[in-house]
Amino acid sequence: MAREFQRGHKARISDLTAGTDLYVGVQISGPGLTFDISCFGLDADERLSDDRYFIFYNQPKSPEESVQLLGAQAGDTESFRVTLDRIPQQIRKLSFTATLDGAGQMSQVGPGYIRIVAGGEEVARYPFSGSEFSTERAVMLGDFYFKDVWRFAAVGQGFDGGLDALLKNFGGEVAEDEPAAAPPQQPAAGGAAPGFAPPAQAAAPPAFGAPGGGPAPVPAPAPPAPVPQPAAPGFTPPPAPAPAAPPVHTAPTIVAPLHTPPGGSPVPPPAPAPAPFGQPGQQPPYGQPAPPPGYGQPPAPQAPPGYGQPAPPPGYGHQPPPGQPPAPQAPYGAPQGAPHGAPQGAPQGPGVLGALQQFKETPTGQRWTQQNKKLVRADLGIGGQPVLARQGSMVLYQGKVDFSYKGAGFSGRIVGNATGQEMQLMRCTGQGQVFFAENSTMLHPIELQGDAVCVSAENVLAFDEGLQYEVRRIEGHGIPGGALFTMQFQGTGTIVVKTHGVPVVLPVTPTTFADCNAVVAWSAASQVVVSSQVRMRRNSYPGDTGESVNLQFRGAPGNFIVVQPYEI
Amino acid sequence: MNQPLAGFAPAPVTARMENHGNHMLKVAMQTGNDLLARVGSMVAYEGFVQYEPNPPAVRQIAKDWLTGEGAPLMKCSGDGLLYLADYGANVVVINLNGDGISVNATNLLAFDAHLTWGVERVKGLAKFAGQGLWNTKISGQGWVALTSRGKPIVVDCGGGDDETYVDPDALVAWSPNLKVKGKRSFRAQSLIGRGSGEAYQMAFSGQGIVVVQPSEDSTDRLRVRG
Repeated sequence: MAREFQRGHKARISDLTAGTDLYVGVQISGPGLTFDISCFGLDADERLSDDRYFIFYNQPKSPEESVQLLGAQAGDTESFRVTLDRIPQQIRKLSFTATLDGAGQMSQVGPGYIRIVAGGEEVARYPFSGSEFSTERAVMLGDFYFKDVWRFAAVGQGFDGGLDALLKNFGGEVAEDEPAAAPPQQPAAGGAAPGFAPPAQAAAPPAFGAPGGGPAPVPAPAPPAPVPQPAAPGFTPPPAPAPAAPPVHTAPTIVAPLHTPPGGSPVPPPAPAPAPFGQPGQQPPYGQPAPPPGYGQPPAPQAPPGYGQPAPPPGYGHQPPPGQPPAPQAPYGAPQGAPHGAPQGAPQGPGVLGALQQFKETPTGQRWTQQNKKLVRADLGIGGQPVLARQGSMVLYQGKVDFSYKGAGFSGRIVGNATGQEMQLMRCTGQGQVFFAENSTMLHPIELQGDAVCVSAENVLAFDEGLQYEVRRIEGHGIPGGALFTMQFQGTGTIVVKTHGVPVVLPVTPTTFADCNAVVAWSAASQVVVSSQVRMRRNSYPGDTGESVNLQFRGAPGNFIVVQPYEI
Repeated sequence: MNQPLAGFAPAPVTARMENHGNHMLKVAMQTGNDLLARVGSMVAYEGFVQYEPNPPAVRQIAKDWLTGEGAPLMKCSGDGLLYLADYGANVVVINLNGDGISVNATNLLAFDAHLTWGVERVKGLAKFAGQGLWNTKISGQGWVALTSRGKPIVVDCGGGDDETYVDPDALVAWSPNLKVKGKRSFRAQSLIGRGSGEAYQMAFSGQGIVVVQPSEDSTDRLRVRG
């Protein structure tokens, strides 16, 4: 069965399939509407720096054919073949988009999807429908992006302008005097002059749209030429939607997105590469005031405007000479360049501000923002509901925030009595931003959208008060203290979970076990069983392995558990 | 055998102070350009470097620190490469370049000896947190290295009258021109043992920045050893 993605979900491709030769199918349709479905190959700055990686009906493949447009087949309006391991270094993101050709708006779109098929089996599917959009003319459906490994993100973000605005957003160029539907790309490879603008149907690449001269890109035939693929599922166009169950161990795991703004408001467009600070931006983020943080990780800290305006920087002077450290009274202390002009990503700028630039607060317009791996910021003004947090976890706040005691409630007191460790909470109310951190543990904001998650009580740092939570008790022989207490959270909101060290997220399979001291959280749909390993021969050896009581998890594929490398 | 470790060899020196990884500081020492570092922070050195604990100059300036156990700074002089660390804390290197910064005593790792510096008690907050909050104000042309438990965050105070409140245990450093106040968020409830756990904060206002660490562990590991 294919993994169903929701908007904002992300997953490693390797969790979805072992293959790297993928088929990406897009199905989008609406009464009387035609669509251009294209793929943008973007660089690390999310710019279309190379026109040859804009794959659309007039340029159906990239130079080394790592991305190919295949046309309509197997129930898909448009399909692509993506060979991840042949994508060149400079391309770090593939953004699949659908644009309206002609009149209409995205709200008229019927149910559609973007899906990934590997080896003839559908491994991921992100379904969407027109009700998620309004007057947009384009939509970014999903991204393949490279962060350590290739990952897939279900974006589902509308875009006001048409294809040309989208192209501009990615830093591409649109020649003038062309209708919006036909961005006259100048493909460097083929020297293609778009002689034919509107595609007859978005579904089929116009065969006669091929340019006149040179090694022009020709629409690939639907079944792609077989390419030798070492040790990967063979590439075959998928059969018409015939779900096939993937082996349970490759069932992907999805943790809720970190950076989708709550409330279902349209996600602002992925940040165009932040303009070097101090320079006029090359391209303002389209229609949005603040560039959102990138995927998963906050981007390189970015100075909010107005930061450090006073303190006129000393004029550009000596730069520290590389090489040997300077001689005594040498220029290492001499006035150097203006700290505020230090470009983004410069590892070190002179002056206090320059040196600390990399640790700047991440700008945000969201309720919960991860500032870095160990710090989370909650903006109480957004959403208007109080935050409950572990006592003493506030490290800093701005604005009028009141901290008050929050009793654990009746059941909490029972827990407290039973375990001697009551969950000590405080309620943060008011208007302002509160930064939470505790003991340098890694923090993971998990956004719940109606689903439920169980978190071991020691690992809860903070959560929205609007979430319903209850204490659950897992009893079993051999658990220290007689029972394990967890908190089950349900509803819509964010919960921040802390882990000591980098956790592992495991899919729940028939044989998933975890140490009850190291398990942090699990999706509430999975069932927990205490399993004690009782072996007849165990006692015949001196000593115990110390690993006799484990929790076993059972559940449908798609459930997950989170385990930290630390046993409390 | 060395292959997996080869990636950790020191990078060529490009400045007086540099990070080696996130948690170690590398200082290029030179005669005549002394360094003041926390006692016990040296983890390795290469070359000819001498250490002088409790130097007279420090004793002069840091009179307040002298509570019988000596100043927690040592003077390092000589030529070579000096590696400093504080029990795995993140190290932040700052080239002051004429700016000034106030650093919490436990978060100071090292600084150039020729910088202008002084020790002061945080006004209105002394002994508040039970640890006695001393801070070192450093300014001039030179380098300073701070430590932070976890990657720090830098928050702009905004410049207006709005105050930014910081848990004193998480505070690392701040701009010296900020106004500092102690704030007790005492309420009737907290007096009867039901506090929110955030009983006192430091309030900063004015134009400048505050550096905060993602941990409320402010124990001075270097001093514990004595």
